[in-house]
Amino acid sequence: MGMVSKKFHLLEDNTSGDEFVNKNKIILNTRVNLARNFNGKKFVSKSSKQEKNALLEKVKEQACAIREFKDFKFYKIADLKRLQRDLLFRDYMLNTKIAGKIQGKGLFIRDGLPGNGSSAVIINNEDHINIQSVYPGLNIDKAYNEVTIIEKHFEKGFNFAFDKDLGYLTASPFNLGTALRVAVIAHLPVLALSSGINNLLKRTSKIGCQVGGYLVEQYEIIGNLFEIFNQFTLGKDEKDILEEVNAICLNIAEEERDAREQLKKKDLLGIKDNVYRSFGLLKYAKILSYEEALELLSILRLGIDLDIIDKANDFNFFRLVDKISNPRIIVDMETGRKIDNDYIDSIRADMIRKKIMKEVG
Amino acid sequence: MKCDFCNNNEATIYLIKIQGKMVERINICDECTKKFSFLSYKNFYDDLAEILYKFFDTGGKTISNRVKKIWGNLNYRRNLKCSNCGIDLKTIKKTGLVGCSNCYREFRDVLLPLIKNVQGSLENKGKIPVNTSSKIRVEKSIRSLKNKLQNEIIIENFEEAAKIRDKIKKLEKDINGHGK
Repeated sequence: MGMVSKKFHLLEDNTSGDEFVNKNKIILNTRVNLARNFNGKKFVSKSSKQEKNALLEKVKEQACAIREFKDFKFYKIADLKRLQRDLLFRDYMLNTKIAGKIQGKGLFIRDGLPGNGSSAVIINNEDHINIQSVYPGLNIDKAYNEVTIIEKHFEKGFNFAFDKDLGYLTASPFNLGTALRVAVIAHLPVLALSSGINNLLKRTSKIGCQVGGYLVEQYEIIGNLFEIFNQFTLGKDEKDILEEVNAICLNIAEEERDAREQLKKKDLLGIKDNVYRSFGLLKYAKILSYEEALELLSILRLGIDLDIIDKANDFNFFRLVDKISNPRIIVDMETGRKIDNDYIDSIRADMIRKKIMKEVG
Repeated sequence: MKCDFCNNNEATIYLIKIQGKMVERINICDECTKKFSFLSYKNFYDDLAEILYKFFDTGGKTISNRVKKIWGNLNYRRNLKCSNCGIDLKTIKKTGLVGCSNCYREFRDVLLPLIKNVQGSLENKGKIPVNTSSKIRVEKSIRSLKNKLQNEIIIENFEEAAKIRDKIKKLEKDINGHGK
């Protein structure tokens, strides 16, 4: 049970320089995903349990024979406990909500790439394999290069399902063609609070990009975190998709920065009040729900970025989003007994108090 | 106004179809609405076919081929299964996922408009797998050269355009020579 949580702890301590510049980071995270199916085999939704497991074994065999893959850790999803699966769900977009669908799913993960990237190969999710790479900040090229290197290894042993008009064939028509999805996470507190987001949405859709909430609860976007991704995968070259998403991200970051400058000029007292109120709650609350914590941390993060407050330790907002989530807290507690929400919320409040609030006196 | 379906009860719901200047109307009574999914649990797709058919109902006269084809597509095609994986069109439409590569071939005429709608294009411009036949590679080169040709013509760079046109001709000759 401890294996998955220990691996992620390692990621925490093993960080180097660049990753820890948190100030004024608007683009928090980049993820590049490539979907591929193998020729001559039914797609995941129509494959039987045996067929899926057979494919999983075949991919595992192939991967283990490749020298570079020895750094990858392998997880068979059916062997993991529910909590570990929940942890992996968001990061790797695994569809494990329905118990019957766990069979035949597998995961190769590699952390600790230079620049603090990580990559993964997800087997039998929606397509036979999904090759994914994640880097902090805006690092589309790095992530894409990583993904294509891994793809080349698989190409040696497998033939990909491909059509000259529809490109790489995927289970969903939404992913046909390049089967490339680039998703970037941005922290846009001022644009979100000033409704500048609406204009943004209109403009990005013109270039074929979509913007949505990264964490959504009851139709509300939490923590002012947005996900920017390419809408189309067919009819464009890979290079074009990468460039377009990159350009729109730089544009959005600039807008947020401008909006922050404007806000400081127009209503410094107002924003100071918001920041200090958030700080107060984070410092003294004994119970913090996930949603409330993220909303407060978003404003605190903004306050630190704008040099409005110095009473808090600098923190990596995106890292916290995972660290203070319910499944992560429960796994880290490493206890078998059933825990109620209030208890988890109190642990969360404690964590935040210890990590972020500076020791007084 | 009597119900169009049972021809017995008074109609209480009206479905109106407006196409350009033409307006047509279908009348349904309470009893007959119970058969339809917006008020009950039956599959809406079943009902849609039946309702739309009413619009094309020529009251016993010969139904045109075109109408027969539409009716055929709506009602019959749904039960067609892919010869490779056995998935039916109904499931594809419900889950949004196909069952295998062959589905894209077998259900081409139904899926292509959907793909065009969703992706805005039916032409792959991205990279192709290393183990693809050389014929497809050459076809791809021809396609991208043709795009380049358009661009050069637009910016009136005719000398460059001529060079590209010659390249295309050569490649097309190569393909047709070895293509069979």
